[in-house]
Amino acid sequence: MGRHAAPASISPEPADDPIASARGLTKVYGTGATAVHALRGVDVDLGRGRLTAIMGPSGSGKSTLMHCMAGLDTPTSGTVEVDGRVISSMSQRQLTTLRRTRIGFVFQAYNLVPTLTAAENITLPLDIARTPVDRERFDTVINTLGLGDRLTHRPTELSGGQQQRVACARALVAKPSIVFADEPTGNLDSRAAGEVLGFLRRSVDDLGQSVVMVTHDPRSASYAHRVVFLADGALVGELHDPAEADILEALAALGEARERDAS
Amino acid sequence: MLRVSLREIRAHGVRFALSVLAVVLGVAFVAGTFILRAMLSDTFDSIVESSLQGDAYLRSISTTEEGLPDGPPDPSAGFGGARDGIDITLADELADVEGVAQALPDVQGPIVIVGADGTAVINGQAPSLALALHPDDPAVDLVAGEVPVGPNEIGLESSALETSGLALGDTTTVVLGGEVREVTVVAEGGYDSPTSGATLAFLDADVAADLFAPDGLVNSIAVYGEDGVSQTDLVDAMTETVLADHPDDNLEARTGDDVRAEASAAINEIIGFIGTFLLVFASIALFVGAFIITNTFAMSVRQRQREYALLRALGASPVQVFAVVLTQAFAVGLVGSAIGLISGVALVDLIRWILSRFGMNLTGDAPVTAFTAALCLGIGTLVSLVAAAVPARRAALTAPVEAMRDDVTVTEKSLRWRALAGAALLLIGVAATYVSVAVATDETPWWGLGPGPWLGIGAGAVLVGMLALSPVIARSTLGVLAAPFVAAIKPLGRLARGNVMRNPRRTASTAGALMIGMALVAACTVLAASARESTTAIVESEYRADFVVMSATNAVPAEAVTAIADLEDVARADAVATAPVQLSGPGLEPTSTTVIGVPPEAFGTTLEIETLSGDLATLADGEAAVHTSAALEYGWELGDRITLRTDVTELTLTVGVITNSQALNADVTIGQDQLTELLGPAPANVVMVAVDGVEGVSPDELGEQLDTILEPYVTVTALTEEELVNQIADRVNQALVIIYALLALSVVIAVLGIVNTLALSVIERTREIGLIRAVGLGRLQLSTTIVIESVLTAIFGTVVGVVVGVALAAAVRSVFADQGLSVLAVPWDQLAVIVALSAVVGVIAALWPAIRASRLPVLQAIAQE
Ligand SMILES: Nc1ncnc2c1ncn2[C@@H]1O[C@H](COP(=O)(O)OP(=O)(O)OP(=O)(O)O)[C@@H](O)[C@H]1O
Ligand SMILES: [Mg+2]
Repeated sequence: MGRHAAPASISPEPADDPIASARGLTKVYGTGATAVHALRGVDVDLGRGRLTAIMGPSGSGKSTLMHCMAGLDTPTSGTVEVDGRVISSMSQRQLTTLRRTRIGFVFQAYNLVPTLTAAENITLPLDIARTPVDRERFDTVINTLGLGDRLTHRPTELSGGQQQRVACARALVAKPSIVFADEPTGNLDSRAAGEVLGFLRRSVDDLGQSVVMVTHDPRSASYAHRVVFLADGALVGELHDPAEADILEALAALGEARERDAS
Repeated sequence: MLRVSLREIRAHGVRFALSVLAVVLGVAFVAGTFILRAMLSDTFDSIVESSLQGDAYLRSISTTEEGLPDGPPDPSAGFGGARDGIDITLADELADVEGVAQALPDVQGPIVIVGADGTAVINGQAPSLALALHPDDPAVDLVAGEVPVGPNEIGLESSALETSGLALGDTTTVVLGGEVREVTVVAEGGYDSPTSGATLAFLDADVAADLFAPDGLVNSIAVYGEDGVSQTDLVDAMTETVLADHPDDNLEARTGDDVRAEASAAINEIIGFIGTFLLVFASIALFVGAFIITNTFAMSVRQRQREYALLRALGASPVQVFAVVLTQAFAVGLVGSAIGLISGVALVDLIRWILSRFGMNLTGDAPVTAFTAALCLGIGTLVSLVAAAVPARRAALTAPVEAMRDDVTVTEKSLRWRALAGAALLLIGVAATYVSVAVATDETPWWGLGPGPWLGIGAGAVLVGMLALSPVIARSTLGVLAAPFVAAIKPLGRLARGNVMRNPRRTASTAGALMIGMALVAACTVLAASARESTTAIVESEYRADFVVMSATNAVPAEAVTAIADLEDVARADAVATAPVQLSGPGLEPTSTTVIGVPPEAFGTTLEIETLSGDLATLADGEAAVHTSAALEYGWELGDRITLRTDVTELTLTVGVITNSQALNADVTIGQDQLTELLGPAPANVVMVAVDGVEGVSPDELGEQLDTILEPYVTVTALTEEELVNQIADRVNQALVIIYALLALSVVIAVLGIVNTLALSVIERTREIGLIRAVGLGRLQLSTTIVIESVLTAIFGTVVGVVVGVALAAAVRSVFADQGLSVLAVPWDQLAVIVALSAVVGVIAALWPAIRASRLPVLQAIAQE
């Protein structure tokens, strides 16, 4: 599948060594007539050392997919593997440990504990796990993010962009296997969004991190190595190293397909 | 808008349930206090009713009353108070008066009854009395058996019969009139109302008269009219006949209703302190309740700030939003007060149960008067409305743009005014407390107020001042208190510290309720310890005897006193006796008081009394010893002449010495011979006998001998110095038990307040909790964090409370220094235990909120608006 192809079909093309993968993943909310099929059998591999973006219309199941893969939610059926561990069958306790050691999170908003300083927020997962902070790593992350002079501030004293960067630093400082970011730039203006995304990309390129993010914004998605498209709980296509225009095109095609289906 | 109000209540069930709980707690406390007060006064009234059932009474005119024989009854003159006795034979004359069915002289005195198990039937500090039972006595129902006849038959009141374990026909031992006697139980008598713990026995009327009215004088004679004769008719008939026949005897006739009203008033005055105490307690309850309610509303409004902003954005006016919140407050207040009222009744039942454990039985039902109900509903609703008004105003003034913001930033008002007001109140409180101590030392009122009111003002102002100041000191104090947690439990300690410090106002008001309770607990603890230390000091410095013989009934039988003195190994047996007299002197009108009589040789041998001037030896010459507090109060000096008067005679004595003694703390102490002279044929009431062994007898040996001869008297024991201290301390503790029980209640309510605040703050922090759970905080860790928060809050409240309590107790101690609290003792170990217990309290308070928080599903928590 070339760079300019419309995402009409799914390319399985499993990466040789995925950091996380899902097989036959379904998620159903509720039962009976009111049941909502948020995911209908998703197979996906997320590349190691890559920035993957997930796109799709509202309600297509992006957040659900991410929550299931991050161990925040349990799938109805199917398996999820993160860094060689099957997490879909883990207990809550195991998942909690997994989250604090192997997985980093960045949410759309409300990422920081208001009573802690920026630095304390960044080391929170390590403190919870009672692991000593790797100073070198901490400094690298901080320098990459350009947060040095803000470390002793409380979240309320930081701008939205700064808060999201602190959240990214928190997600990265513990060297997690994978970082999940659900619309990390949803609340930011384009300049602040650019800073955060640039940082995420650099953390992949320079620090070798694996990052998955959900976004609605084609411009944000263009920072990714790979973009996968979700519609009605199923993977409907993907793009590699896309330009903003490619993504817009693909989204438009997706929209047309949906309208056709609907009529 | 009303629909919006009520919908919200339904939608936020838990939050409103917690607000309702706050109101319930506050109102239950107030309702309980009021009901208890009503119940106590009912109980005492019914005791008066049943013990004074006569239609009219004959007695002598009070000598302390400024001759108002026909005026309205003066409650302060008391019931049976300062009156001369009247001749018992007047009863026969009265019986002949037209319209009189019966005339029964009031004859009663102390008795000790030995129960089936061989121990004395006695109920805590309640008296044990024997009364004359006349055939057909209208006041007593003869439940079973016959009226006792002769010296060897007695009757028992129903509850005394039950506790004694005796049955009709059983023989047992009693101590009567200083002698041990074998008697048969022949009757069970009953009253219409409970006896409030007093143990009552009935005797043949003549036997009782011989024992308790050996001089032929009684306090009063109860007159029962024939059917259809009104009380005033009886009084008129008595005035025309008996009173007219004895114009010089200072007699008066009173209707039964008058006498009962007098007695009720007198008793109410005596137990008035209980009423005052309960009122103070009710206001504290209300205060604590208002605190919890305000806190709850402040939090729940804050949490819904965005909803209100949305309402405003949709075009609701500030007034409408204000009304929404107030309507909710009204609903919450009304529902909470109603439930609180019901809970208050349950609370009283609990207290009644506790009191009955200590031998104090209260009458029938918990009376919920319309007044109490209206008061509770009114107060509960009003406090809710007032408490909600401030947050409601804030809600109303919410800018519509807040709805668009993601995080509601609530700007905390500066604490400057709080700090100023708090500091001012604290200063006033300290000053007033200082004045109270000064007033107590100088014994001169200030601005017409004695030490008591000043102390009350001081304590109140200090407490309120501290409450106002506590948010100001919260940050620094909590920082110190949290340090060990932050260091020991990473990173939970720091998270918890952040949570309690982020809103010092809230933490402080949550801790405030506990602070008040703990201040009182600490004060009581310190006072109890001081009382103990002071007694120890007195006993050690003033009692020189090997043994002190005392009775649980406060009266050592005369026979026992003789028996002790007759022991070969006893060198000295000095009986300290008391007698009621009327005391007068320069600048003092006749006043009823109790005088102490001691053998003058006791000084320097068995008793060591501090003298300020004069010489104790003058007692042997028939002079009197005056206590320094009395000397100061009346301005008496050595050489002044004072007069002691009884029914029998009148003695005028010279003040020969001024003492400062805690053991002999009556205004006047005289020699044994003078006391006997004053009493005539009536027996002296021996309160204790100080016993010294002859040289060479070991204390153990002497103790054994005393125990052997005292055994038949059941309630009389020989105590060493140490045992005496323990016994007095036990009495103090017993008296404090009820207070502790009430205080425990206030602590329980404070704990529920903490639960309430924690639960609300968990709701408020749902998203934050979701976040830290998402980044890997385990459930147990989350619970631990909340527990630490709770423990910090509880310890904060307790530490501040204990500091305030100890300071206030120190002031109280100084004020009552010459009334037995000569030493201030701060029991640091017990206070440390209180603080440690508060940590436990914190853990308990955190359980439910912690479990709730840890059960929050992570995803939903994050998605929470
Ligand atoms: N807790 C839930 N209970 C019931 N249905 C849910 C729940 N969470 C999500 N859904 C449904 O599942 C579907 C997928 O939701 P999801 O949040 O994954 O969408 P999304 O792609 O992230 O949308 P958006 O771009 O708006 O964030 C939606 O139809 C949604 O209504
Ligand atoms: Mg989503």
